[in-house]
Amino acid sequence: MLDLAITGFTLAFLALGLRKPFVWVLAFIYIDILTPQKISWSLLASLPISLIAFVLAFGGWIALDDKRDTRFTLRQGLIVLLLVYCGLTTMMAEFQTEAAEKWSWVWKALLFAIFLPLTLRTRLRFEAVVTVIVLTIGGILITGGIKTAAGGGGYGLLRTFVAENAGIYEGSTLSTMAIAIIPLIWWVARYTTLFPQRRLVLLFAAALTFAALLIPVGTQTRTGLLCIGLLGVLALRSVKRRFLYLGVAGAVAVAAVPFLPDSYMERINTIENHKSDQSASTRVAVWMWTLDYVKDHPFGGGFDAYRGNNLQVETVKELGPDNNAKLDVQVHEEKARAYHSAYFEMLGEQGYPGFLLWAWIHFLGLWQMERLRRRWGKEKAEHLAWIAPLANALQMAQLIYLLGALFIGIAFQPVMFMLIAVQCGLWSYAKRIGAPARQPLRTGPPPLRVSAA
Amino acid sequence: MVDYFALALSHGLLVLAGLKLLARQDLDADPAPPQQGEEPDEPPARRPKPELRLRA
Repeated sequence: MLDLAITGFTLAFLALGLRKPFVWVLAFIYIDILTPQKISWSLLASLPISLIAFVLAFGGWIALDDKRDTRFTLRQGLIVLLLVYCGLTTMMAEFQTEAAEKWSWVWKALLFAIFLPLTLRTRLRFEAVVTVIVLTIGGILITGGIKTAAGGGGYGLLRTFVAENAGIYEGSTLSTMAIAIIPLIWWVARYTTLFPQRRLVLLFAAALTFAALLIPVGTQTRTGLLCIGLLGVLALRSVKRRFLYLGVAGAVAVAAVPFLPDSYMERINTIENHKSDQSASTRVAVWMWTLDYVKDHPFGGGFDAYRGNNLQVETVKELGPDNNAKLDVQVHEEKARAYHSAYFEMLGEQGYPGFLLWAWIHFLGLWQMERLRRRWGKEKAEHLAWIAPLANALQMAQLIYLLGALFIGIAFQPVMFMLIAVQCGLWSYAKRIGAPARQPLRTGPPPLRVSAA
Repeated sequence: MVDYFALALSHGLLVLAGLKLLARQDLDADPAPPQQGEEPDEPPARRPKPELRLRA
Protein backbone atom coordinates (compact mmCIF):
# COMPACT_ATOMS: atom_id res chain seq x y z
CA MET A 1 0.00 0.00 0.00
CA LEU A 2 2.76 2.45 1.02
CA ASP A 3 4.79 1.37 -1.98
CA LEU A 4 1.85 2.05 -4.29
CA ALA A 5 1.08 5.42 -2.69
CA ILE A 6 4.68 6.70 -2.86
CA THR A 7 5.12 5.45 -6.43
CA GLY A 8 1.80 6.95 -7.49
CA PHE A 9 2.61 10.28 -5.84
CA THR A 10 6.05 10.55 -7.44
CA LEU A 11 4.80 9.65 -10.90
CA ALA A 12 1.84 12.04 -10.54
CA PHE A 13 4.27 14.79 -9.49
CA LEU A 14 6.24 14.21 -12.67
CA ALA A 15 3.05 14.08 -14.76
CA LEU A 16 1.97 17.52 -13.45
CA GLY A 17 5.07 18.92 -15.10
CA LEU A 18 3.41 18.37 -18.46
CA ARG A 19 1.16 21.34 -17.64
CA LYS A 20 3.76 23.53 -15.93
CA PRO A 21 7.35 22.45 -16.62
CA PHE A 22 8.60 24.24 -13.48
CA VAL A 23 6.90 21.46 -11.48
CA TRP A 24 9.71 19.15 -12.67
CA VAL A 25 12.18 21.33 -10.78
CA LEU A 26 10.05 20.87 -7.65
CA ALA A 27 9.80 17.12 -8.31
CA PHE A 28 13.59 16.86 -8.42
CA ILE A 29 13.89 18.70 -5.09
CA TYR A 30 11.33 16.32 -3.54
CA ILE A 31 13.05 13.22 -4.92
CA ASP A 32 16.55 14.37 -4.04
CA ILE A 33 15.67 15.12 -0.40
CA LEU A 34 13.23 12.34 0.48
CA THR A 35 14.62 9.63 -1.82
CA PRO A 36 11.21 7.96 -2.32
CA GLN A 37 13.00 5.24 -4.32
CA LYS A 38 14.49 4.07 -1.00
CA ILE A 39 11.10 4.06 0.76
CA SER A 40 9.47 2.20 -2.11
CA TRP A 41 10.65 -1.30 -2.93
CA SER A 42 9.22 -2.12 -6.36
CA LEU A 43 8.86 0.10 -9.44
CA LEU A 44 10.48 3.29 -8.06
CA ALA A 45 13.41 1.37 -6.64
CA SER A 46 14.22 -0.01 -10.07
CA LEU A 47 13.96 3.32 -11.95
CA PRO A 48 16.70 6.00 -12.06
CA ILE A 49 13.98 8.38 -10.86
CA SER A 50 16.33 11.13 -9.68
CA LEU A 51 18.06 11.25 -13.07
CA ILE A 52 14.70 11.23 -14.89
CA ALA A 53 13.49 14.19 -12.79
CA PHE A 54 16.72 16.12 -13.43
CA VAL A 55 16.58 15.53 -17.18
CA LEU A 56 12.92 16.63 -17.25
CA ALA A 57 13.64 19.73 -15.13
CA PHE A 58 16.61 20.77 -17.26
CA GLY A 59 14.96 19.82 -20.57
CA GLY A 60 11.76 21.63 -19.60
CA TRP A 61 13.71 24.78 -18.82
CA ILE A 62 15.76 24.62 -22.02
CA ALA A 63 12.82 23.92 -24.29
CA LEU A 64 9.88 25.70 -22.73
CA ASP A 65 10.84 28.33 -20.16
CA ASP A 66 11.19 32.05 -20.74
CA LYS A 67 14.85 33.03 -20.30
CA ARG A 68 14.65 36.80 -20.68
CA ASP A 69 14.98 37.42 -16.94
CA THR A 70 17.62 34.76 -16.39
CA ARG A 71 20.98 35.95 -15.02
CA PHE A 72 24.12 34.01 -14.16
CA THR A 73 25.54 35.11 -10.81
CA LEU A 74 29.12 35.16 -9.52
CA ARG A 75 28.37 32.46 -6.95
CA GLN A 76 27.03 30.13 -9.64
CA GLY A 77 30.37 30.68 -11.40
CA LEU A 78 32.18 29.75 -8.19
CA ILE A 79 30.11 26.56 -7.93
CA VAL A 80 31.08 25.74 -11.55
CA LEU A 81 34.74 26.15 -10.56
CA LEU A 82 34.23 23.97 -7.49
CA LEU A 83 32.53 21.31 -9.63
CA VAL A 84 35.39 21.26 -12.13
CA TYR A 85 38.00 21.25 -9.37
CA CYS A 86 36.31 18.37 -7.52
CA GLY A 87 36.17 16.46 -10.82
CA LEU A 88 39.94 16.88 -11.20
CA THR A 89 40.71 15.81 -7.62
CA THR A 90 38.45 12.78 -8.11
CA MET A 91 40.53 11.70 -11.10
CA MET A 92 43.68 11.95 -8.99
CA ALA A 93 42.14 10.69 -5.74
CA GLU A 94 44.10 8.47 -3.38
CA PHE A 95 41.10 6.14 -2.98
CA GLN A 96 39.68 5.89 -6.48
CA THR A 97 36.68 3.63 -5.82
CA GLU A 98 35.44 5.51 -2.74
CA ALA A 99 36.08 8.89 -4.36
CA ALA A 100 34.08 7.90 -7.43
CA GLU A 101 31.20 6.84 -5.19
CA LYS A 102 31.06 10.22 -3.43
CA TRP A 103 31.53 12.08 -6.72
CA SER A 104 28.45 10.24 -8.08
CA TRP A 105 26.14 12.33 -5.85
CA VAL A 106 28.26 15.45 -5.31
CA TRP A 107 28.25 16.48 -8.97
CA LYS A 108 24.45 16.24 -9.08
CA ALA A 109 24.09 18.47 -6.02
CA LEU A 110 26.49 21.07 -7.46
CA LEU A 111 25.01 20.97 -10.97
CA PHE A 112 21.50 21.42 -9.58
CA ALA A 113 22.70 24.37 -7.48
CA ILE A 114 24.06 25.99 -10.65
CA PHE A 115 20.83 25.29 -12.53
CA LEU A 116 18.12 26.14 -9.95
CA PRO A 117 18.70 29.94 -9.80
CA LEU A 118 18.15 30.15 -13.57
CA THR A 119 14.56 29.02 -13.06
CA LEU A 120 13.73 31.31 -10.12
CA ARG A 121 12.17 34.24 -11.96
CA THR A 122 8.97 34.94 -10.02
CA ARG A 123 7.90 35.31 -6.41
CA LEU A 124 5.63 32.28 -6.70
CA ARG A 125 8.56 30.13 -7.81
CA PHE A 126 10.52 31.11 -4.69
CA GLU A 127 7.47 30.27 -2.59
CA ALA A 128 7.03 26.93 -4.32
CA VAL A 129 10.68 25.88 -3.95
CA VAL A 130 10.92 26.83 -0.27
CA THR A 131 7.54 25.23 0.47
CA VAL A 132 8.55 21.96 -1.17
CA ILE A 133 11.87 21.91 0.74
CA VAL A 134 10.07 22.62 4.04
CA LEU A 135 7.29 20.08 3.49
CA THR A 136 9.61 17.34 2.26
CA ILE A 137 11.99 17.67 5.20
CA GLY A 138 8.88 18.33 7.31
CA GLY A 139 7.65 14.78 6.69
CA ILE A 140 10.89 13.42 8.15
CA LEU A 141 10.63 15.84 11.09
CA ILE A 142 7.04 14.86 11.87
CA THR A 143 7.82 11.15 12.10
CA GLY A 144 11.07 11.81 14.01
CA GLY A 145 9.38 14.25 16.36
CA ILE A 146 6.48 11.96 17.21
CA LYS A 147 8.78 8.99 17.80
CA THR A 148 10.99 11.10 20.06
CA ALA A 149 8.00 12.41 22.02
CA ALA A 150 6.83 8.81 22.45
CA GLY A 151 10.18 7.91 24.02
CA GLY A 152 11.93 6.42 20.99
CA GLY A 153 15.28 7.29 19.48
CA GLY A 154 18.84 7.25 20.72
CA TYR A 155 22.23 8.01 19.18
CA GLY A 156 22.15 6.49 15.71
CA LEU A 157 18.86 4.78 16.54
CA LEU A 158 16.09 7.18 15.53
CA ARG A 159 14.66 5.55 12.45
CA THR A 160 12.57 7.73 10.16
CA PHE A 161 11.52 6.72 6.63
CA VAL A 162 14.76 5.14 5.49
CA ALA A 163 16.72 2.65 7.56
CA GLU A 164 20.18 3.74 6.40
CA ASN A 165 22.10 6.32 8.45
CA ALA A 166 23.20 8.38 5.44
CA GLY A 167 22.41 11.65 3.65
CA ILE A 168 19.75 13.74 5.34
CA TYR A 169 18.69 10.65 7.31
CA GLU A 170 22.01 10.58 9.23
CA GLY A 171 21.32 11.67 12.83
CA SER A 172 23.64 14.69 13.19
CA THR A 173 22.92 15.91 9.66
CA LEU A 174 19.19 15.63 10.23
CA SER A 175 19.34 17.50 13.52
CA THR A 176 21.40 20.33 11.99
CA MET A 177 19.21 20.67 8.92
CA ALA A 178 16.04 20.37 11.05
CA ILE A 179 17.08 23.41 13.07
CA ALA A 180 18.41 25.23 9.99
CA ILE A 181 15.05 25.11 8.21
CA ILE A 182 13.04 26.48 11.17
CA PRO A 183 13.46 30.10 9.92
CA LEU A 184 12.25 28.94 6.49
CA ILE A 185 9.22 27.22 8.03
CA TRP A 186 8.23 30.60 9.48
CA TRP A 187 8.93 32.45 6.27
CA VAL A 188 6.54 30.08 4.47
CA ALA A 189 3.95 30.46 7.24
CA ARG A 190 4.04 34.25 7.07
CA TYR A 191 4.57 35.03 3.43
CA THR A 192 3.28 32.23 1.25
CA THR A 193 0.30 32.99 -0.93
CA LEU A 194 -0.12 29.27 -1.65
CA PHE A 195 -1.86 28.59 1.66
CA PRO A 196 -4.01 31.60 2.54
CA GLN A 197 -5.59 30.08 5.70
CA ARG A 198 -3.14 31.94 7.92
CA ARG A 199 -4.24 30.53 11.29
CA LEU A 200 -4.04 26.90 10.22
CA VAL A 201 -0.68 27.53 8.58
CA LEU A 202 0.70 29.19 11.73
CA LEU A 203 -0.54 26.25 13.82
CA PHE A 204 1.16 23.80 11.48
CA ALA A 205 4.37 25.87 11.53
CA ALA A 206 4.38 25.83 15.35
CA ALA A 207 3.87 22.04 15.42
CA LEU A 208 6.58 21.50 12.80
CA THR A 209 8.99 23.74 14.73
CA PHE A 210 8.34 21.68 17.87
CA ALA A 211 9.01 18.48 15.92
CA ALA A 212 12.23 20.00 14.54
CA LEU A 213 13.39 20.96 18.04
CA LEU A 214 12.78 17.38 19.17
CA ILE A 215 15.07 15.92 16.49
CA PRO A 216 18.37 16.70 18.32
CA VAL A 217 16.84 15.02 21.40
CA GLY A 218 15.69 11.99 19.40
CA THR A 219 19.00 11.59 17.62
CA GLN A 220 20.88 12.51 20.82
CA THR A 221 23.30 14.72 18.97
CA ARG A 222 25.29 17.44 20.68
CA THR A 223 25.63 19.41 17.45
CA GLY A 224 21.86 19.81 17.24
CA LEU A 225 21.73 21.36 20.69
CA LEU A 226 24.41 23.91 19.74
CA CYS A 227 22.38 24.72 16.63
CA ILE A 228 19.26 25.33 18.77
CA GLY A 229 21.33 27.71 20.91
CA LEU A 230 22.51 29.62 17.83
CA LEU A 231 18.97 29.78 16.45
CA GLY A 232 17.84 31.26 19.77
CA VAL A 233 20.50 33.97 19.55
CA LEU A 234 19.93 34.72 15.86
CA ALA A 235 16.18 35.01 16.39
CA LEU A 236 16.90 38.03 18.60
CA ARG A 237 17.68 39.99 15.44
CA SER A 238 14.27 39.29 13.95
CA VAL A 239 11.77 39.32 16.83
CA LYS A 240 9.91 42.53 17.60
CA ARG A 241 9.56 42.14 21.40
CA ARG A 242 13.01 41.06 22.47
CA PHE A 243 12.47 41.01 26.22
CA LEU A 244 9.28 38.98 25.92
CA TYR A 245 11.10 36.59 23.59
CA LEU A 246 14.02 36.22 26.01
CA GLY A 247 11.66 35.51 28.92
CA VAL A 248 9.58 32.94 27.02
CA ALA A 249 12.64 31.24 25.47
CA GLY A 250 14.36 31.02 28.86
CA ALA A 251 11.24 29.62 30.54
CA VAL A 252 10.76 27.01 27.79
CA ALA A 253 14.43 25.95 28.01
CA VAL A 254 14.25 25.53 31.80
CA ALA A 255 10.91 23.70 31.60
CA ALA A 256 12.24 21.33 28.92
CA VAL A 257 15.25 20.07 30.90
CA PRO A 258 13.33 17.64 33.20
CA PHE A 259 11.76 16.02 30.13
CA LEU A 260 15.09 15.28 28.43
CA PRO A 261 16.17 11.62 28.62
CA ASP A 262 19.08 10.85 30.98
CA SER A 263 21.11 9.32 28.18
CA TYR A 264 20.93 12.63 26.31
CA MET A 265 21.99 14.64 29.36
CA GLU A 266 25.00 12.35 29.78
CA ARG A 267 25.96 12.93 26.17
CA ILE A 268 25.53 16.69 26.49
CA ASN A 269 27.87 16.72 29.50
CA THR A 270 30.68 15.39 27.33
CA ILE A 271 30.70 18.76 25.48
CA GLU A 272 32.30 20.29 28.59
CA ASN A 273 34.51 17.33 29.34
CA HIS A 274 35.45 16.28 25.83
CA LYS A 275 38.78 14.71 26.80
CA SER A 276 37.00 11.77 28.43
CA ASP A 277 34.91 11.14 25.34
CA GLN A 278 36.49 8.95 22.70
CA SER A 279 34.29 10.29 19.90
CA ALA A 280 35.30 13.92 20.62
CA SER A 281 38.99 13.04 21.13
CA THR A 282 39.03 11.15 17.85
CA ARG A 283 37.67 14.22 16.06
CA VAL A 284 40.42 16.42 17.42
CA ALA A 285 43.01 13.80 16.41
CA VAL A 286 41.58 13.60 12.85
CA TRP A 287 41.62 17.40 12.55
CA MET A 288 45.29 17.53 13.57
CA TRP A 289 46.05 14.76 11.08
CA THR A 290 44.24 16.73 8.34
CA LEU A 291 46.29 19.87 9.02
CA ASP A 292 49.47 17.82 8.61
CA TYR A 293 48.08 16.03 5.55
CA VAL A 294 47.22 19.22 3.68
CA LYS A 295 50.75 20.54 4.23
CA ASP A 296 52.03 17.60 2.16
CA HIS A 297 49.03 17.58 -0.22
CA PRO A 298 48.07 21.25 -0.76
CA PHE A 299 45.67 20.30 -3.58
CA GLY A 300 43.90 17.69 -1.44
CA GLY A 301 43.71 13.93 -1.64
CA GLY A 302 40.33 13.67 -3.35
CA PHE A 303 37.09 12.46 -1.80
CA ASP A 304 37.41 10.14 1.21
CA ALA A 305 41.15 10.88 1.62
CA TYR A 306 40.63 10.38 5.38
CA ARG A 307 40.74 6.62 4.76
CA GLY A 308 44.49 6.86 4.85
CA ASN A 309 44.68 8.06 8.45
CA ASN A 310 46.06 6.03 11.35
CA LEU A 311 45.65 7.77 14.71
CA GLN A 312 46.70 7.38 18.31
CA VAL A 313 43.80 8.79 20.33
CA GLU A 314 44.27 9.62 24.00
CA THR A 315 41.31 9.80 26.40
CA VAL A 316 41.63 11.12 29.94
CA LYS A 317 39.05 10.16 32.59
CA GLU A 318 38.89 11.45 36.14
CA LEU A 319 38.26 8.67 38.65
CA GLY A 320 37.34 9.25 42.28
CA PRO A 321 36.23 12.41 44.14
CA ASP A 322 36.92 15.87 42.65
CA ASN A 323 39.53 16.90 45.25
CA ASN A 324 41.49 13.66 44.97
CA ALA A 325 40.85 12.51 41.42
CA LYS A 326 43.00 9.94 39.70
CA LEU A 327 43.54 10.49 35.98
CA ASP A 328 43.02 7.39 33.89
CA VAL A 329 44.80 7.88 30.55
CA GLN A 330 44.04 5.41 27.79
CA VAL A 331 45.42 5.31 24.27
CA HIS A 332 43.33 3.86 21.46
CA GLU A 333 44.37 3.18 17.93
CA GLU A 334 41.96 4.44 15.27
CA LYS A 335 42.11 3.93 11.51
CA ALA A 336 40.28 5.57 8.59
CA ARG A 337 38.29 7.90 10.81
CA ALA A 338 36.06 10.41 8.96
CA TYR A 339 36.64 14.15 9.26
CA HIS A 340 33.57 14.96 11.37
CA SER A 341 33.82 18.53 10.16
CA ALA A 342 32.94 20.04 6.80
CA TYR A 343 35.82 22.52 7.07
CA PHE A 344 38.42 19.77 7.54
CA GLU A 345 36.60 17.63 4.97
CA MET A 346 37.12 20.37 2.37
CA LEU A 347 40.71 20.95 3.45
CA GLY A 348 41.71 17.29 3.38
CA GLU A 349 39.78 16.29 0.27
CA GLN A 350 40.05 19.41 -1.89
CA GLY A 351 43.12 21.11 -0.44
CA TYR A 352 43.54 24.86 -0.05
CA PRO A 353 41.94 25.86 -3.41
CA GLY A 354 38.82 23.74 -2.80
CA PHE A 355 38.49 24.97 0.76
CA LEU A 356 38.82 28.61 -0.31
CA LEU A 357 36.23 28.21 -3.08
CA TRP A 358 33.77 26.54 -0.72
CA ALA A 359 34.32 29.19 1.98
CA TRP A 360 33.97 31.96 -0.61
CA ILE A 361 30.64 30.53 -1.81
CA HIS A 362 29.35 30.50 1.78
CA PHE A 363 30.66 33.80 3.05
CA LEU A 364 29.63 35.66 -0.10
CA GLY A 365 26.15 34.23 0.53
CA LEU A 366 26.07 35.57 4.08
CA TRP A 367 27.17 38.99 2.85
CA GLN A 368 24.66 39.07 -0.02
CA MET A 369 21.78 38.09 2.27
CA GLU A 370 22.83 40.84 4.68
CA ARG A 371 22.76 43.34 1.80
CA LEU A 372 19.28 42.17 0.81
CA ARG A 373 18.04 42.40 4.41
CA ARG A 374 19.13 46.01 4.62
CA ARG A 375 18.09 47.06 1.12
CA TRP A 376 14.59 45.53 1.21
CA GLY A 377 13.89 45.56 4.94
CA LYS A 378 11.85 48.72 4.86
CA GLU A 379 9.65 47.69 1.94
CA LYS A 380 6.02 47.62 3.03
CA ALA A 381 4.40 46.93 -0.35
CA GLU A 382 2.87 43.44 -0.33
CA HIS A 383 4.62 42.39 -3.55
CA LEU A 384 8.07 43.32 -2.15
CA ALA A 385 7.78 42.78 1.62
CA TRP A 386 8.72 39.07 1.36
CA ILE A 387 12.25 39.63 0.01
CA ALA A 388 14.10 40.81 3.16
CA PRO A 389 12.50 38.14 5.41
CA LEU A 390 13.48 35.41 2.91
CA ALA A 391 17.06 36.74 2.83
CA ASN A 392 17.02 36.75 6.64
CA ALA A 393 15.70 33.17 6.87
CA LEU A 394 18.27 31.94 4.32
CA GLN A 395 21.07 33.70 6.19
CA MET A 396 19.98 32.17 9.51
CA ALA A 397 19.72 28.72 7.92
CA GLN A 398 23.22 29.11 6.50
CA LEU A 399 24.73 30.27 9.81
CA ILE A 400 23.16 27.31 11.63
CA TYR A 401 24.48 24.98 8.94
CA LEU A 402 27.96 26.52 9.21
CA LEU A 403 27.92 25.89 12.97
CA GLY A 404 26.73 22.30 12.58
CA ALA A 405 29.31 21.81 9.83
CA LEU A 406 32.07 22.44 12.39
CA PHE A 407 31.35 18.96 13.78
CA ILE A 408 29.86 17.03 10.85
CA GLY A 409 31.28 16.25 7.42
CA ILE A 410 28.45 17.84 5.42
CA ALA A 411 30.36 20.11 3.06
CA PHE A 412 28.34 18.90 0.06
CA GLN A 413 24.97 18.39 1.79
CA PRO A 414 22.51 18.70 -1.15
CA VAL A 415 19.84 20.56 0.88
CA MET A 416 22.36 23.27 1.77
CA PHE A 417 23.35 23.61 -1.87
CA MET A 418 19.64 24.00 -2.70
CA LEU A 419 19.44 26.84 -0.17
CA ILE A 420 22.58 28.38 -1.70
CA ALA A 421 20.85 28.17 -5.08
CA VAL A 422 17.78 29.95 -3.66
CA GLN A 423 20.14 32.65 -2.32
CA CYS A 424 21.69 33.08 -5.78
CA GLY A 425 18.22 33.26 -7.33
CA LEU A 426 17.04 35.81 -4.76
CA TRP A 427 20.14 37.98 -5.24
CA SER A 428 19.63 37.98 -8.99
CA TYR A 429 15.84 38.56 -8.70
CA ALA A 430 16.20 41.46 -6.25
CA LYS A 431 18.90 43.05 -8.40
CA ARG A 432 16.67 42.83 -11.45
CA ILE A 433 13.51 44.27 -9.91
CA GLY A 434 15.48 46.81 -7.88
CA ALA A 435 17.32 48.22 -10.89
CA PRO A 436 15.96 51.53 -12.15
CA ALA A 437 14.01 51.27 -15.39
CA ARG A 438 16.23 51.84 -18.41
CA GLN A 439 15.95 55.17 -20.18
CA PRO A 440 14.62 54.87 -23.72
CA LEU A 441 17.23 55.33 -26.43
CA ARG A 442 17.46 58.87 -27.75
CA THR A 443 16.60 59.20 -31.38
CA GLY A 444 17.04 62.94 -31.95
CA PRO A 445 20.27 64.97 -32.01
CA PRO A 446 22.05 65.44 -28.68
CA PRO A 447 21.06 68.61 -26.83
CA LEU A 448 23.41 71.53 -27.27
CA ARG A 449 25.59 72.26 -24.29
CA VAL A 450 26.95 75.74 -23.79
CA SER A 451 29.89 75.98 -21.49
CA ALA A 452 31.09 79.18 -19.95
CA ALA A 453 34.32 80.22 -21.50
CA MET B 1 1.94 3.80 11.77
CA VAL B 2 3.71 7.06 12.67
CA ASP B 3 5.56 6.91 9.36
CA TYR B 4 2.28 6.52 7.50
CA PHE B 5 0.79 9.51 9.31
CA ALA B 6 3.84 11.71 8.62
CA LEU B 7 3.95 10.67 4.96
CA ALA B 8 0.20 11.22 4.54
CA LEU B 9 0.30 14.68 6.15
CA SER B 10 3.37 15.98 4.32
CA HIS B 11 2.32 14.49 0.99
CA GLY B 12 -1.27 15.72 1.42
CA LEU B 13 0.06 19.25 1.84
CA LEU B 14 2.38 18.81 -1.13
CA VAL B 15 -0.60 17.75 -3.26
CA LEU B 16 -2.54 20.80 -2.07
CA ALA B 17 0.39 23.10 -2.87
CA GLY B 18 0.79 21.46 -6.30
CA LEU B 19 -2.89 21.88 -7.18
CA LYS B 20 -2.90 25.52 -6.10
CA LEU B 21 0.26 26.12 -8.08
CA LEU B 22 -1.32 24.81 -11.25
CA ALA B 23 -4.29 27.11 -10.80
CA ARG B 24 -2.09 30.20 -10.54
CA GLN B 25 -1.10 32.34 -13.49
CA ASP B 26 1.80 34.09 -11.78
CA LEU B 27 4.07 31.02 -11.69
CA ASP B 28 5.78 31.92 -14.95
CA ALA B 29 5.56 35.73 -14.81
CA ASP B 30 5.12 38.12 -11.90
CA PRO B 31 1.95 40.20 -12.13
CA ALA B 32 2.57 43.88 -12.96
CA PRO B 33 3.41 45.79 -9.75
CA PRO B 34 0.50 47.93 -8.50
CA GLN B 35 0.73 51.61 -9.48
CA GLN B 36 1.03 54.19 -6.72
CA GLY B 37 -2.26 54.62 -4.89
CA GLU B 38 -3.63 51.42 -6.35
CA GLU B 39 -4.42 48.47 -4.04
CA PRO B 40 -2.71 45.22 -5.06
CA ASP B 41 -4.94 42.32 -5.98
CA GLU B 42 -5.43 40.10 -2.95
CA PRO B 43 -5.11 37.15 -3.28
CA PRO B 44 -2.92 37.16 -6.44
CA ALA B 45 -4.45 36.42 -9.77
CA ARG B 46 -6.07 33.05 -10.07
CA ARG B 47 -7.47 31.38 -13.09
CA PRO B 48 -11.21 32.24 -13.20
CA LYS B 49 -13.50 29.39 -12.23
CA PRO B 50 -15.58 27.98 -15.07
CA GLU B 51 -19.12 29.29 -15.07
CA LEU B 52 -22.03 27.03 -14.20
CA ARG B 53 -23.66 25.59 -17.22
CA LEU B 54 -27.25 24.44 -17.17
CA ARG B 55 -28.24 21.56 -19.27
CA ALA B 56 -31.28 21.98 -21.36
